[in-house]
Amino acid sequence: MSDTFRNRLMFAVALVLAAIYLFPLYWMYITALKTGSAMFATPPKFWPSEPQWGIYEYVWQSRNMGRYLWNSLVIAFGAVSLIAVLGVGCAYVLARYRNIWVDVGLFLILMLQVLPASLMVTPTFVGFSQFGLLDTPRLAVILAIAAKSMPFFVVLVRATFMSVPMELEEAALVDGNSRIGAFFNIVLPLARNGILVSAILIFMQAFGEFVYSKSMIQAVELQPASVGLNSFMGPNTNEWNNIMAYATIYVTPILAAFVLLQRRIVSGLTSGALK
Amino acid sequence: MGISRYAMLGAFALASLSLPAFSASAEDVTISVWSLDRDIQPAPNLINDFNKLNTGIKVEYRQIQFDDVVSEAMRAYSTGQAPDIIAVDNPEHALFSSRGAFLDLTDMISKSSVVKPENYFPGPLASVTWDGKFYGIPKATNTIALYYNKDMFKAKGLDPSKPPQTWDELVKAARKLTDPAANVYGLTFSAKANEEGTFQFLPWAQMAGGGYDAINSDGAVKALDIWKTLIDEKLASPDTLTRGQWDSTGTFNSGNAAMAISGPWELDRMIQEAKFDWGVALLPVPEVGAERSSAMGDFNWAVFASTEHPVEAFKVLEYFVSQDNRMFKDFGQLPARSDIAIPPTGEPLKDAALKVFLEQLKYAKPRGPHPEWPKISKAIQDAIQAALTGQLSSKEALDQAAEKIKAVLG
Amino acid sequence: MKRFLSSVTDGSGFDIGLVLLPLAFLFVMSGLPLVYNVVMSFQEVDMFSLGSFARPFVGLKNYIDLFSQPETRPILLNTAIFVSASIAGQFLIGFGLALFFWVNFPGASWLRGLFLVSWVMPGLVVGAIWNWILSGDFGVLNFLLRETGAISGNIFWRSDPNYSLWAVIIANIWLGTSFNMILLSVGLSGIPKDLYEAAELDGANAFQRFWTITLPMMRSTIGAIIALGLIFTLQQFDLFAAITSGGPNNTSNVTQYWAWDLSFRQYDFAKGATISVIMIVFVMFASVVYVRSTRHEVRG
Repeated sequence: MSDTFRNRLMFAVALVLAAIYLFPLYWMYITALKTGSAMFATPPKFWPSEPQWGIYEYVWQSRNMGRYLWNSLVIAFGAVSLIAVLGVGCAYVLARYRNIWVDVGLFLILMLQVLPASLMVTPTFVGFSQFGLLDTPRLAVILAIAAKSMPFFVVLVRATFMSVPMELEEAALVDGNSRIGAFFNIVLPLARNGILVSAILIFMQAFGEFVYSKSMIQAVELQPASVGLNSFMGPNTNEWNNIMAYATIYVTPILAAFVLLQRRIVSGLTSGALK
Repeated sequence: MGISRYAMLGAFALASLSLPAFSASAEDVTISVWSLDRDIQPAPNLINDFNKLNTGIKVEYRQIQFDDVVSEAMRAYSTGQAPDIIAVDNPEHALFSSRGAFLDLTDMISKSSVVKPENYFPGPLASVTWDGKFYGIPKATNTIALYYNKDMFKAKGLDPSKPPQTWDELVKAARKLTDPAANVYGLTFSAKANEEGTFQFLPWAQMAGGGYDAINSDGAVKALDIWKTLIDEKLASPDTLTRGQWDSTGTFNSGNAAMAISGPWELDRMIQEAKFDWGVALLPVPEVGAERSSAMGDFNWAVFASTEHPVEAFKVLEYFVSQDNRMFKDFGQLPARSDIAIPPTGEPLKDAALKVFLEQLKYAKPRGPHPEWPKISKAIQDAIQAALTGQLSSKEALDQAAEKIKAVLG
Repeated sequence: MKRFLSSVTDGSGFDIGLVLLPLAFLFVMSGLPLVYNVVMSFQEVDMFSLGSFARPFVGLKNYIDLFSQPETRPILLNTAIFVSASIAGQFLIGFGLALFFWVNFPGASWLRGLFLVSWVMPGLVVGAIWNWILSGDFGVLNFLLRETGAISGNIFWRSDPNYSLWAVIIANIWLGTSFNMILLSVGLSGIPKDLYEAAELDGANAFQRFWTITLPMMRSTIGAIIALGLIFTLQQFDLFAAITSGGPNNTSNVTQYWAWDLSFRQYDFAKGATISVIMIVFVMFASVVYVRSTRHEVRG
């Protein structure tokens, strides 16, 4: 079997697999363009007979989506920054040693994210209200998301630090660096890619966070896009086509960024600057 | 609805232009209102209009989701952050009023020249009443009836001017109308395991002499048996068990179901999207001459007991009530009042449907009121689902529900 | 003081500080709410007393009540099925895809990017989409299966007690595959190539190489993925809310959805908290698996 033939075959198989996997996404795009009742039709139509292109403009305008997306960005950036500041050092230490205390630390970090947000939100809300944090609702949500996503970040970044050879840090210490100096000058730059990539993964999750934002942010001007999506769902009405159009506007830009960045994402997680 | 949407946009534009003139002065009292109404529904628009009157009361609005109304309200109330006014679903009203979380409005209502209890339908009024006192004011009301596709009736040799009157006729019509080859079910409704399932089933039980406090009566068992027949014979889609009313009626609109049980909130979408002739009939009864009944839906206004400005809050409610005559025209909702004549809309299908819904409304009964309604409702949903999936017989399932409800009722 | 300062900049104080600060943060933000839930599971909770701890204690009553409810055992069983089937599916498909794209053919990295889609989709939207796809009458999955002749009559994925749980599992596998694939890809590319070259010289075939090199080298990655997967799966809530609402008749109900339903639909907060304590036990198990898996790590 020649290499070119094998490559083409692999590519073809990959295309088919991707098509299957991406089908739900296609269905989101196509449902957005259908009329309210056409989506209930049997057999289902793979291309709407009367595509409703105007829906995107309507959804964007009527929901003031620019503001929602801005809030999502603010919240996601805030949460990622906080997680990065707190999580990187933690991951570094947990990767550097191998003893019972590290085990305990890892165990605690995982344990603390056990419950789904829907069950954590009531106690968190009560606690935040006592400290007056609800007066700055976006900050409150940033704190809550940071607590929720940090364990995941620590686990990923810890793996990155594991790939930075210990000898390099030791050499730096021998050269007269302090621990802080060695950390910032040697270890951190080597793990930079992995940290960046883990941060991107966290960012995308925070961008779609829903449960905390919904209960803690009461002023509509401060709500993120995920909460705005809810405004199409009423007690007896679900405007599915609008929901899907909204989701399309919401998801597509991140999706594009993700596809473009993904080569860096995978290589960033695997290699320090060494490889 | 298109017109009112533009009117609303205009109002928003005006409001934002003239914002400086109406900005709150130091003496203004601020009243916060929570409801599930969104841009094209009453609350935000009425509040906008009210704020323009510049009464010295400034109203702030927050939209919350249907599923979250009670949990958000409880969280806020128990941490001292409750709003002044809230709209709650009528079966959940008693949850709050029985615990003193809502303000007793009886005195203020008796002195009011705007809010008069005798103007309201008895069902909605009962839902705001607890222990003989009024803890709220009905905001709007709705009920369910039978939609049917007249074109399909004709095609299957049924008389489109004679929709089914009794349960037997309904089942017979459904059998005739069901056409698997054409992907058509005879009937669509909702038996979902949430409040919607209870909302749809209780009227059936009540028509046959049952009720939430007699859920295993012979009539209620027969009602559930009919539902089971509909599902077992595939006269209604098996997805009825997991699909809400809105999505179920969607299949009616797309021509995949010949009849649908749902409420007036469907009218606007149906007029836009159903490409066939349709009509609305009263819910079929167990046998000719039997007592009619129907579900009663929609929300009530209430004032939280923790408010610092009860007088001003009541003034805001009085304003809302004074605008009840706009409810149907501007927002497509039915006011909960018998003294307001609803003017024709000029849309013949809608006007005909409205007549039926107003007739049906006379038989609408509230769910409860009982402070632990969610538990009662859950027992009923469980019974429906157990029977329809074939895990228990209708009788066994409802006996079990009756047992659970008895424990709740005490 | 000076010793303290120098320890912070240059000794074990540096390490301890780096760990304790985030741990303290996590304890306040996640630990206290967790404790709140545990305490609540021993109390009689009234919806209007959510704001304080001062509630009557009832001992184990909530636990006893819970386990005497007929639906408890099936729901626990459902949870076990949901978690193991989801993880198995996500992991196998994710591993398969990661291995497939590991073979570096032109276009591989670009196409692999497309598989990360599900990571960025908000849960709410994923739920809504699968709700459509899995519908019995107008769902496109049934349509495709019918056209290809795989089934003769519609399968009511969401409403048939035999399928409802699997409907959610299918959607959840779709959702979790990207996460598995990306982390497994990372693990794979961390294996030194010379190991394979040496094995090939020794005459090991592809299967032997996979068994003797790939799997052992991936041990810690796999441990981490399964532990994180278990936690993510136990937190999966949106899909249940969107696709089956736990129905019909609890056949697709799982602990996390049930706890929410009890707390926020029936306002029985104590029972909701009791279930969450049971879930904590589950996750404790996952954490132990993860911590143990780190023992096999190789420092790069």
